Amino acid sequence: MEAILKVEKLSKCYGKLLGKTQALNELSFQVMPGEFLGIMGSSGSGKSTLLNCIATVIAPSSGKIMMAGKEVTALKGKELSNYRGQEIGYLFQNFELLDNLTGRENIMLPLSLHGISSKESAEKLLQLANYLDVADVLEKFPAQMSGGEKQRVAAARALILNPGIILADEPTGALDSYNAKILMEKLTGMNQREKATILMVTHDSGVASYCSRILFIQDGAIFHEVRRDYPAETQPQFYQRIIKVIARLGGGDVNVF
Amino acid sequence: MFSKLIFRNSKRNRKDNGLFFSSMLICIVAFYIILSLKNQDVMIFLEKMESDAISRLLSMIPILYAVTLFLLFFLIYYAGKIQLEKRKHELGIYLILGMRRSKLFVLLLLEDIQGSMMALLVGLPIAIFLSEMISLVTARVVGLGIIGHQFSVSGGAILWTAIGFFLVKLVAFLLLGLMIARQQIGNLLAVAPDGARKQLPKGIYVLAVFMGAILLAKAYYMGISGQSWRDFKQMGMTMIFGLAGTLLLFFGLRVVIGFLIQIKRNRRLYVYNFRQIEEAVIYSSGKLAISSLLVLAGLGSFGAGVAVGSAYLQTVQHISDYTFTADYATINHGLISHHLDSYFSDLFEVKIGLMDGDNQDKEELLQMKAVLQELEKLPKTKEQTILLKHLRRETRPYLISLSGYNELQRLAGQPILKLKEEEVVIYQHPDFTFGKELLNHIFAQKPQIFLNGENHYITGKVESLPLVTDRAITLAFALIVPDNKFETYTKGNYEIFLNGSLKSEWIQQKGLMGAVLEVNQKLTDAGIEYESYLQNMGRQLFYSVATSYLTIYLAIIFLVIANTMIGVQFLVNQQKSKKRLKTLIHLGADYQILCQSAKKQINWYFGLPVLIALISSQFGVRALLTGLLPGYLQQDLMQQLLISGIMIVFLGVMEYIYMILIKHFSNRYIFSLMEPERSE
Ligand SMILES: Nc1ncnc2c1ncn2[C@@H]1O[C@H](COP(=O)(O)OP(=O)(O)OP(=O)(O)O)[C@@H](O)[C@H]1O
Ligand SMILES: [Mg+2]
Repeated sequence: MEAILKVEKLSKCYGKLLGKTQALNELSFQVMPGEFLGIMGSSGSGKSTLLNCIATVIAPSSGKIMMAGKEVTALKGKELSNYRGQEIGYLFQNFELLDNLTGRENIMLPLSLHGISSKESAEKLLQLANYLDVADVLEKFPAQMSGGEKQRVAAARALILNPGIILADEPTGALDSYNAKILMEKLTGMNQREKATILMVTHDSGVASYCSRILFIQDGAIFHEVRRDYPAETQPQFYQRIIKVIARLGGGDVNVF
Repeated sequence: MFSKLIFRNSKRNRKDNGLFFSSMLICIVAFYIILSLKNQDVMIFLEKMESDAISRLLSMIPILYAVTLFLLFFLIYYAGKIQLEKRKHELGIYLILGMRRSKLFVLLLLEDIQGSMMALLVGLPIAIFLSEMISLVTARVVGLGIIGHQFSVSGGAILWTAIGFFLVKLVAFLLLGLMIARQQIGNLLAVAPDGARKQLPKGIYVLAVFMGAILLAKAYYMGISGQSWRDFKQMGMTMIFGLAGTLLLFFGLRVVIGFLIQIKRNRRLYVYNFRQIEEAVIYSSGKLAISSLLVLAGLGSFGAGVAVGSAYLQTVQHISDYTFTADYATINHGLISHHLDSYFSDLFEVKIGLMDGDNQDKEELLQMKAVLQELEKLPKTKEQTILLKHLRRETRPYLISLSGYNELQRLAGQPILKLKEEEVVIYQHPDFTFGKELLNHIFAQKPQIFLNGENHYITGKVESLPLVTDRAITLAFALIVPDNKFETYTKGNYEIFLNGSLKSEWIQQKGLMGAVLEVNQKLTDAGIEYESYLQNMGRQLFYSVATSYLTIYLAIIFLVIANTMIGVQFLVNQQKSKKRLKTLIHLGADYQILCQSAKKQINWYFGLPVLIALISSQFGVRALLTGLLPGYLQQDLMQQLLISGIMIVFLGVMEYIYMILIKHFSNRYIFSLMEPERSE
């Protein structure tokens, strides 16, 4: 099977000469279609930078990002906005819902942005809303929703255009453990049922245990990888293993669930 | 270090607040132009003839100046407040870093002064240039000729512009500065919470829209029916209804926008755009309503100016340049002996005399029974009643000799009148034409009248060419009769007026005004008595120039303030929406899409207040025509259309300029967001 996302020797350097920070250092990895990949690492290890490079929000200093065979860094104009809008779905730590739009309008935003008729996607919207348990809050404004609801509405927005890959930067960061659990179950469900590809950054070993594979990065480079032995290994067992890895790697600064 | 900070901040303020800066410039220019009014060629010229009126006009300018300074104060205060609000965080940081409050205050003050200096340095040269241009253009338009033009800079105007501008800025600054300097650091650093969305039940907004519409309709009605002009109280009521109506309408407008959102068109970012507009309508309905009222005020003063100005220009037709009060032989002799005859062409006599007859008391010399009967038969209107009253009083008319009047017809490029022995034509001076349509309708049937008991008929239409160059002779009602009848009925007791025009080569060479001025001098030296078109023209010119200057000035000030308010409102809201824009970019919005979206919103931001003001202004024009103009011009629909047309074009130009400006600033802001950077 061909990898959907290939990252090759990606480097990102912030600042010039003085006060230079090497956030990513020749980092390479691949994501297979249908994979649920987690990225863990201490604070400042370059996780967000990596995700933002893939999302084209920041430009890498060198290296290559190939999405479905296309060189992402070379995209321009319409192709670039189509890529941002349709090929990737982005989940933010703080949801980033537009607070003056209702839930429904937020979910429809990518359609409205890319000039796609909302009729076509009406069914998709209903299906997603039901699955993510947000059908009741579609007419509410974000201020009237709970954090969990907001993040699930944001998830529906990320999924509405059937993106090739979902990028999530600590999607549970602003949620309590109960809501985090619901969100992770829903994402896992999407991953297993719809074969959605997910690339998620997290600090949280509990959240990470939903992944099928986890990359550990430090100082902008991968230094360890664990893979869940599915289905033989249960989620709690995988969780134990993650904790052990973290302890063994001496990452006292990695947040433990 | 400190001065560098001031310099840099002040530069950034100008850039961030380009809109505000541009509006300052316009105000400076307007100030200078109005203050240097007496240096304008036209004014210098008019001062020779209408010095009383001019000095009255010039004495009004300080009042106007004070009023606009007062208005400007609010604009500056408002814009300054928003600017400081935006910098609150930055100022808090200065304090935290240990800057003393007094020093912060001085920093802000110096920044402000530097900004004002820049505005003056840029604005004054523009103002002087424009003022010169206006002077030249008006001189050319009114036929003064531009040869005598002298470049002039009014030191007084510069001084007062600068003083007024600094004064207003300083007062606004002190108020704002004190407010900021007193605040706790914590307050400065905290992000202002966006007012919670407190919504009342929908019914209330629907009610507001209805009430607003009803109140506005009532105000419109009072205005156009003339009710408002009856007394102060009625006028006040109209104002209050209009004001309250507009405020309520804007308050309820969210329902309309909400409805538009529900339509959910499939246009790009349709819902988003309307939610943004909705937010503006909800959070700042008052500001939008006030901007709308300011636009209306601007349109109102402009409309009034055009109405009054054009009324003065319209009334008297220019046929001859000179009138002498003697017969041809005398005057021609005088002209030839002073070598002035070569200046003149088309000398002709107009004879006017009061009718005389056999009747002892001279009361019933004219009898118009048939005309009065016909008039009585017509439907009873105000016009008909007044006309009847007038005509009943006309029992001893003035007469005009046909040959003289036909000369006027010829010069005016109209067919000459051919009258049979017993035919007459009715004459009314253009200032007094009243009920012309009704009269023409009756005269079409050639009604019978009696002059000195003899049988005559009225024929043709009402004639109203001015008989002489000035308003010295303004006959409200007279009969044009064949020359032999004229001799008979005046019993040889009449006045002769000799009209004459300047040769056209001469006018082309000097401009009409220039030529008239020069010949006047020569005639005076020669001791020949004359009336020149100049007196008349001077008066007309004075009224139209004065009204157009003042009203256009006011209109521009009002519109500048309104548009700046709207524009600042949009730009502030756009900056408040920074996070939303970033999210949109994340979701794949590109520069074009965002600019397009901002453009739509700008159109609505300006469109809503302007549209409502425009509707109100149409009724306003009607009301102005009812209230301000003399009766004979009221029914003129063309006039109304003309004024509305000019007003719309004027407004269109102003709005276009402002919208372009705001779109430019908006695009620049969006561009600054497009650069890839961290989103956290
Ligand atoms: N815009 C920037 N300018 C300069 N340095 C930056 C910038 N953004 C990130 N960095 C630096 O790059 C490094 C990686 O940052 P990044 O945000 O990717 O870390 P992270 O792994 O997401 O950390 P966290 O878990 O705390 O979110 C850090 O040392 C950070 O200080
Ligand atoms: Mg991060």
